[in-house]
Amino acid sequence: MIQLIFFLSIGVLLFASLFFLARRNPRPEGSSGALIEARQALTALQGGLLPIEFVHRVFAPDDWEYVRSEAPAGVRSLFLEERKKIALLWVDQVRRQIRSLRHFHRGSARSYARLNPRLEMELALSFAGLAIACRLLQAVVYVGGPFAAPRLVNAMAGAASHACKISEQSLAFLNAAQLGVLNGPSTGRAAV
Amino acid sequence: MATRRVDVEHAVEDIRHRTLSEIPRSLDRLIYLASMRDYNTGLYYHDGLASRFTQEVACQALADCHREAFNQLVSCSLRELVGQMEEYIRSTHTSPRNFVTAWRKLEPYRVAVPVETDPVVAHFLFSSFKIALAVLEARLRSAQSEPVA
Repeated sequence: MIQLIFFLSIGVLLFASLFFLARRNPRPEGSSGALIEARQALTALQGGLLPIEFVHRVFAPDDWEYVRSEAPAGVRSLFLEERKKIALLWVDQVRRQIRSLRHFHRGSARSYARLNPRLEMELALSFAGLAIACRLLQAVVYVGGPFAAPRLVNAMAGAASHACKISEQSLAFLNAAQLGVLNGPSTGRAAV
Repeated sequence: MATRRVDVEHAVEDIRHRTLSEIPRSLDRLIYLASMRDYNTGLYYHDGLASRFTQEVACQALADCHREAFNQLVSCSLRELVGQMEEYIRSTHTSPRNFVTAWRKLEPYRVAVPVETDPVVAHFLFSSFKIALAVLEARLRSAQSEPVA
Protein backbone atom coordinates (compact mmCIF):
# COMPACT_ATOMS: atom_id res chain seq x y z
CA MET A 1 0.00 0.00 0.00
CA ILE A 2 2.79 2.38 0.93
CA GLN A 3 4.57 1.45 -2.31
CA LEU A 4 1.42 2.21 -4.34
CA ILE A 5 1.05 5.65 -2.71
CA PHE A 6 4.76 6.28 -3.35
CA PHE A 7 4.53 5.43 -7.09
CA LEU A 8 1.25 7.34 -7.45
CA SER A 9 2.93 10.41 -5.88
CA ILE A 10 5.84 10.13 -8.32
CA GLY A 11 3.35 9.86 -11.20
CA VAL A 12 1.44 12.96 -10.04
CA LEU A 13 4.73 14.82 -9.62
CA LEU A 14 5.82 13.90 -13.14
CA PHE A 15 2.48 15.03 -14.59
CA ALA A 16 2.69 18.29 -12.69
CA SER A 17 6.25 18.86 -14.00
CA LEU A 18 5.11 18.18 -17.56
CA PHE A 19 2.19 20.56 -17.12
CA PHE A 20 4.42 23.39 -15.86
CA LEU A 21 7.03 22.80 -18.57
CA ALA A 22 4.34 22.90 -21.24
CA ARG A 23 2.95 26.13 -19.78
CA ARG A 24 6.38 27.81 -19.58
CA ASN A 25 6.69 28.03 -23.38
CA PRO A 26 3.18 28.00 -24.77
CA ARG A 27 4.26 28.92 -28.35
CA PRO A 28 5.28 26.00 -30.52
CA GLU A 29 8.41 26.33 -32.69
CA GLY A 30 7.72 28.40 -35.79
CA SER A 31 4.34 29.73 -34.66
CA SER A 32 3.29 32.76 -36.72
CA GLY A 33 3.32 35.20 -33.79
CA ALA A 34 6.77 34.09 -32.69
CA LEU A 35 8.18 34.39 -36.23
CA ILE A 36 6.80 37.90 -36.71
CA GLU A 37 8.08 39.03 -33.33
CA ALA A 38 11.51 37.52 -34.02
CA ARG A 39 11.78 39.29 -37.36
CA GLN A 40 10.72 42.62 -35.82
CA ALA A 41 13.25 42.26 -33.03
CA LEU A 42 16.05 41.55 -35.52
CA THR A 43 15.10 44.54 -37.70
CA ALA A 44 15.05 46.83 -34.64
CA LEU A 45 18.44 45.63 -33.50
CA GLN A 46 20.00 46.01 -36.94
CA GLY A 47 18.56 49.50 -37.28
CA GLY A 48 20.10 50.38 -33.92
CA LEU A 49 23.65 50.04 -35.26
CA LEU A 50 24.65 53.43 -36.58
CA PRO A 51 25.75 53.79 -40.23
CA ILE A 52 29.47 53.57 -40.93
CA GLU A 53 29.44 57.11 -42.43
CA PHE A 54 28.44 58.49 -39.04
CA VAL A 55 31.19 56.51 -37.30
CA HIS A 56 33.73 57.93 -39.76
CA ARG A 57 32.38 61.43 -39.04
CA VAL A 58 32.85 61.03 -35.27
CA PHE A 59 36.43 59.82 -35.63
CA ALA A 60 37.31 62.05 -38.63
CA PRO A 61 40.88 63.33 -38.28
CA ASP A 62 40.13 66.35 -40.53
CA ASP A 63 37.99 67.91 -37.77
CA TRP A 64 40.89 67.58 -35.35
CA GLU A 65 43.30 69.05 -37.94
CA TYR A 66 40.93 71.98 -38.41
CA VAL A 67 40.63 72.72 -34.68
CA ARG A 68 44.37 72.29 -34.17
CA SER A 69 45.20 74.80 -36.90
CA GLU A 70 42.38 77.32 -36.32
CA ALA A 71 41.55 77.39 -32.62
CA PRO A 72 43.33 78.24 -29.35
CA ALA A 73 44.28 75.68 -26.70
CA GLY A 74 40.98 76.02 -24.79
CA VAL A 75 38.91 75.08 -27.84
CA ARG A 76 41.30 72.23 -28.68
CA SER A 77 40.83 70.67 -25.27
CA LEU A 78 37.05 71.21 -25.48
CA PHE A 79 37.04 69.44 -28.85
CA LEU A 80 38.99 66.43 -27.56
CA GLU A 81 36.80 66.20 -24.47
CA GLU A 82 33.57 66.36 -26.51
CA ARG A 83 34.69 63.81 -29.11
CA LYS A 84 35.86 61.50 -26.37
CA LYS A 85 32.37 61.60 -24.82
CA ILE A 86 30.73 60.83 -28.18
CA ALA A 87 33.20 58.01 -28.92
CA LEU A 88 32.51 56.40 -25.54
CA LEU A 89 28.75 56.79 -26.07
CA TRP A 90 29.04 55.08 -29.46
CA VAL A 91 31.10 52.16 -28.11
CA ASP A 92 28.61 51.73 -25.29
CA GLN A 93 25.72 51.73 -27.73
CA VAL A 94 27.38 49.07 -29.93
CA ARG A 95 28.03 46.97 -26.85
CA ARG A 96 24.39 47.19 -25.76
CA GLN A 97 23.09 46.39 -29.26
CA ILE A 98 25.33 43.38 -29.60
CA ARG A 99 24.33 42.17 -26.15
CA SER A 100 20.65 42.43 -27.13
CA LEU A 101 21.32 40.56 -30.38
CA ARG A 102 23.13 37.84 -28.44
CA HIS A 103 20.23 37.48 -25.98
CA PHE A 104 17.84 37.36 -28.91
CA HIS A 105 19.82 34.52 -30.55
CA ARG A 106 19.99 32.59 -27.30
CA GLY A 107 16.20 32.82 -27.09
CA SER A 108 15.82 31.85 -30.76
CA ALA A 109 18.10 28.84 -30.41
CA ARG A 110 15.66 27.41 -27.89
CA SER A 111 12.65 27.97 -30.14
CA TYR A 112 13.69 27.16 -33.70
CA ALA A 113 14.99 23.83 -34.95
CA ARG A 114 15.91 25.34 -38.33
CA LEU A 115 18.80 27.46 -37.01
CA ASN A 116 22.13 26.50 -38.58
CA PRO A 117 24.54 25.30 -35.85
CA ARG A 118 27.61 26.39 -37.85
CA LEU A 119 26.27 29.94 -38.28
CA GLU A 120 25.21 30.08 -34.64
CA MET A 121 28.75 29.05 -33.62
CA GLU A 122 30.22 31.72 -35.92
CA LEU A 123 27.88 34.28 -34.36
CA ALA A 124 28.84 33.25 -30.84
CA LEU A 125 32.52 33.80 -31.74
CA SER A 126 31.71 37.17 -33.36
CA PHE A 127 29.82 38.28 -30.26
CA ALA A 128 32.67 37.24 -27.99
CA GLY A 129 35.24 39.04 -30.20
CA LEU A 130 33.09 42.17 -30.33
CA ALA A 131 32.60 42.24 -26.56
CA ILE A 132 36.39 42.15 -26.10
CA ALA A 133 36.95 44.78 -28.85
CA CYS A 134 34.37 47.10 -27.22
CA ARG A 135 36.06 46.88 -23.83
CA LEU A 136 39.48 47.41 -25.42
CA LEU A 137 38.32 50.42 -27.45
CA GLN A 138 36.65 51.94 -24.38
CA ALA A 139 39.94 51.69 -22.48
CA VAL A 140 42.00 53.07 -25.39
CA VAL A 141 39.65 56.04 -25.97
CA TYR A 142 39.46 56.74 -22.25
CA VAL A 143 43.25 56.84 -21.88
CA GLY A 144 44.45 58.01 -25.29
CA GLY A 145 41.52 60.09 -26.57
CA PRO A 146 39.17 59.66 -29.56
CA PHE A 147 41.88 59.48 -32.23
CA ALA A 148 44.12 56.97 -30.48
CA ALA A 149 43.03 53.82 -32.32
CA PRO A 150 41.48 54.51 -35.76
CA ARG A 151 42.11 50.96 -36.97
CA LEU A 152 40.36 49.46 -33.97
CA VAL A 153 37.36 51.74 -34.60
CA ASN A 154 37.09 50.60 -38.22
CA ALA A 155 37.60 46.98 -37.24
CA MET A 156 34.91 47.19 -34.58
CA ALA A 157 32.38 48.91 -36.85
CA GLY A 158 33.06 46.30 -39.55
CA ALA A 159 32.79 43.41 -37.10
CA ALA A 160 29.49 44.72 -35.70
CA SER A 161 27.95 44.97 -39.16
CA HIS A 162 29.38 41.51 -40.03
CA ALA A 163 27.75 40.03 -36.92
CA CYS A 164 24.43 41.54 -38.04
CA LYS A 165 24.86 39.99 -41.50
CA ILE A 166 25.51 36.53 -40.03
CA SER A 167 22.52 37.03 -37.79
CA GLU A 168 20.43 37.87 -40.85
CA GLN A 169 21.65 34.71 -42.64
CA SER A 170 21.01 32.63 -39.57
CA LEU A 171 17.43 33.84 -39.42
CA ALA A 172 16.90 33.78 -43.20
CA PHE A 173 13.93 31.48 -42.73
CA LEU A 174 12.12 34.45 -41.20
CA ASN A 175 11.86 35.97 -44.69
CA ALA A 176 9.25 38.45 -45.81
CA ALA A 177 7.42 36.01 -48.09
CA GLN A 178 6.95 33.56 -45.27
CA LEU A 179 5.81 36.33 -42.95
CA GLY A 180 3.47 37.59 -45.68
CA VAL A 181 1.76 34.20 -45.69
CA LEU A 182 1.70 34.16 -41.92
CA ASN A 183 0.20 37.62 -41.85
CA GLY A 184 -2.73 36.37 -43.91
CA PRO A 185 -6.27 35.92 -42.62
CA SER A 186 -5.64 32.36 -41.44
CA THR A 187 -3.46 33.52 -38.57
CA GLY A 188 -5.71 36.38 -37.59
CA ARG A 189 -2.72 38.69 -36.97
CA ALA A 190 -2.17 41.97 -38.79
CA ALA A 191 1.22 43.04 -40.14
CA VAL A 192 2.76 45.95 -38.29
CA MET B 1 -7.51 56.81 -44.58
CA ALA B 2 -3.82 55.89 -44.67
CA THR B 3 -1.42 58.40 -46.23
CA ARG B 4 -0.10 57.12 -49.55
CA ARG B 5 3.70 57.08 -49.92
CA VAL B 6 3.44 58.33 -53.52
CA ASP B 7 1.56 61.44 -52.37
CA VAL B 8 4.18 62.10 -49.71
CA GLU B 9 6.95 61.80 -52.32
CA HIS B 10 5.14 64.30 -54.56
CA ALA B 11 4.77 66.66 -51.60
CA VAL B 12 8.49 66.29 -50.79
CA GLU B 13 9.35 67.18 -54.40
CA ASP B 14 6.99 70.14 -54.18
CA ILE B 15 8.56 71.57 -51.02
CA ARG B 16 12.07 70.96 -52.39
CA HIS B 17 11.25 72.76 -55.62
CA ARG B 18 9.26 75.69 -54.20
CA THR B 19 10.89 76.37 -50.84
CA LEU B 20 14.07 74.45 -50.05
CA SER B 21 15.74 75.35 -53.34
CA GLU B 22 15.77 78.93 -52.02
CA ILE B 23 17.55 77.83 -48.82
CA PRO B 24 20.96 76.53 -49.85
CA ARG B 25 22.50 75.73 -46.44
CA SER B 26 21.45 72.65 -44.47
CA LEU B 27 21.66 74.62 -41.19
CA ASP B 28 19.08 77.15 -42.43
CA ARG B 29 16.89 74.32 -43.75
CA LEU B 30 17.03 72.54 -40.41
CA ILE B 31 15.99 75.67 -38.54
CA TYR B 32 13.26 76.49 -41.07
CA LEU B 33 11.79 72.97 -41.03
CA ALA B 34 11.98 72.71 -37.23
CA SER B 35 10.01 75.97 -37.05
CA MET B 36 7.21 74.30 -39.04
CA ARG B 37 6.70 71.86 -36.17
CA ASP B 38 4.23 72.45 -33.35
CA TYR B 39 6.09 71.87 -30.08
CA ASN B 40 2.94 70.67 -28.35
CA THR B 41 1.97 67.99 -30.82
CA GLY B 42 5.15 67.29 -32.81
CA LEU B 43 3.13 67.75 -36.03
CA TYR B 44 4.33 69.89 -38.94
CA TYR B 45 2.11 72.55 -40.50
CA HIS B 46 2.42 74.30 -43.86
CA ASP B 47 -0.77 75.87 -45.20
CA GLY B 48 0.35 76.04 -48.84
CA LEU B 49 1.47 72.43 -48.93
CA ALA B 50 -1.64 71.25 -47.06
CA SER B 51 -3.88 73.03 -49.58
CA ARG B 52 -2.13 71.30 -52.50
CA PHE B 53 -2.13 67.88 -50.81
CA THR B 54 -3.67 67.05 -47.43
CA GLN B 55 -2.61 68.07 -43.93
CA GLU B 56 -1.45 64.50 -43.22
CA VAL B 57 0.63 64.29 -46.42
CA ALA B 58 2.11 67.76 -45.81
CA CYS B 59 3.07 66.76 -42.27
CA GLN B 60 4.85 63.58 -43.40
CA ALA B 61 6.60 65.37 -46.27
CA LEU B 62 7.92 68.07 -43.93
CA ALA B 63 9.08 65.43 -41.46
CA ASP B 64 10.98 63.65 -44.27
CA CYS B 65 12.62 66.91 -45.37
CA HIS B 66 13.50 67.70 -41.76
CA ARG B 67 15.25 64.34 -41.33
CA GLU B 68 17.09 64.88 -44.62
CA ALA B 69 18.34 68.32 -43.57
CA PHE B 70 19.41 66.93 -40.20
CA ASN B 71 21.37 64.08 -41.83
CA GLN B 72 23.05 66.52 -44.22
CA LEU B 73 24.13 68.72 -41.32
CA VAL B 74 25.43 65.75 -39.31
CA SER B 75 27.58 64.66 -42.25
CA CYS B 76 29.19 68.14 -42.55
CA SER B 77 32.76 68.58 -41.33
CA LEU B 78 33.41 70.98 -38.45
CA ARG B 79 34.93 73.48 -40.88
CA GLU B 80 31.72 73.41 -42.96
CA LEU B 81 29.54 73.78 -39.86
CA VAL B 82 31.51 76.83 -38.69
CA GLY B 83 31.22 78.30 -42.21
CA GLN B 84 27.46 77.68 -42.29
CA MET B 85 27.06 79.31 -38.89
CA GLU B 86 28.99 82.40 -40.01
CA GLU B 87 26.74 82.70 -43.07
CA TYR B 88 23.66 82.17 -40.94
CA ILE B 89 24.73 84.91 -38.49
CA ARG B 90 25.22 87.29 -41.42
CA SER B 91 21.76 86.45 -42.77
CA THR B 92 20.10 87.24 -39.42
CA HIS B 93 21.71 90.73 -39.25
CA THR B 94 22.46 90.14 -35.57
CA SER B 95 25.68 91.15 -33.90
CA PRO B 96 27.95 88.04 -34.00
CA ARG B 97 28.86 88.53 -30.35
CA ASN B 98 25.19 88.64 -29.27
CA PHE B 99 24.39 85.67 -31.46
CA VAL B 100 27.19 83.51 -30.02
CA THR B 101 26.27 84.48 -26.46
CA ALA B 102 22.57 83.71 -27.01
CA TRP B 103 23.24 80.37 -28.70
CA ARG B 104 25.67 79.31 -26.00
CA LYS B 105 23.16 80.12 -23.27
CA LEU B 106 19.89 79.03 -24.89
CA GLU B 107 21.20 76.16 -27.05
CA PRO B 108 18.27 76.59 -29.50
CA TYR B 109 19.62 73.80 -31.73
CA ARG B 110 18.39 71.28 -29.15
CA VAL B 111 14.79 71.77 -30.27
CA ALA B 112 15.68 71.51 -33.96
CA VAL B 113 16.24 67.74 -33.91
CA PRO B 114 13.68 65.50 -35.69
CA VAL B 115 11.78 62.98 -33.57
CA GLU B 116 13.16 59.44 -33.29
CA THR B 117 16.70 60.64 -33.96
CA ASP B 118 19.29 58.28 -32.50
CA PRO B 119 20.43 59.87 -29.18
CA VAL B 120 24.13 59.39 -30.02
CA VAL B 121 23.70 61.19 -33.36
CA ALA B 122 21.74 64.03 -31.71
CA HIS B 123 24.40 64.31 -29.02
CA PHE B 124 27.09 64.46 -31.72
CA LEU B 125 25.36 67.40 -33.44
CA PHE B 126 24.90 69.28 -30.14
CA SER B 127 28.56 68.71 -29.38
CA SER B 128 29.58 69.97 -32.85
CA PHE B 129 27.51 73.13 -32.32
CA LYS B 130 29.18 73.66 -28.96
CA ILE B 131 32.65 73.37 -30.52
CA ALA B 132 31.69 75.56 -33.52
CA LEU B 133 30.42 78.27 -31.15
CA ALA B 134 33.69 78.08 -29.21
CA VAL B 135 35.65 78.48 -32.48
CA LEU B 136 33.54 81.49 -33.45
CA GLU B 137 33.90 83.06 -30.01
CA ALA B 138 37.69 82.61 -30.14
CA ARG B 139 37.74 84.29 -33.55
CA LEU B 140 35.68 87.22 -32.30
CA ARG B 141 37.97 87.61 -29.30
CA SER B 142 41.12 87.55 -31.41
CA ALA B 143 39.58 90.04 -33.89
CA GLN B 144 38.79 92.37 -30.99
CA SER B 145 42.29 92.16 -29.52
CA GLU B 146 44.01 92.88 -32.87
CA PRO B 147 45.23 96.51 -33.05
CA VAL B 148 43.39 98.70 -35.57
CA ALA B 149 45.70 99.62 -38.47
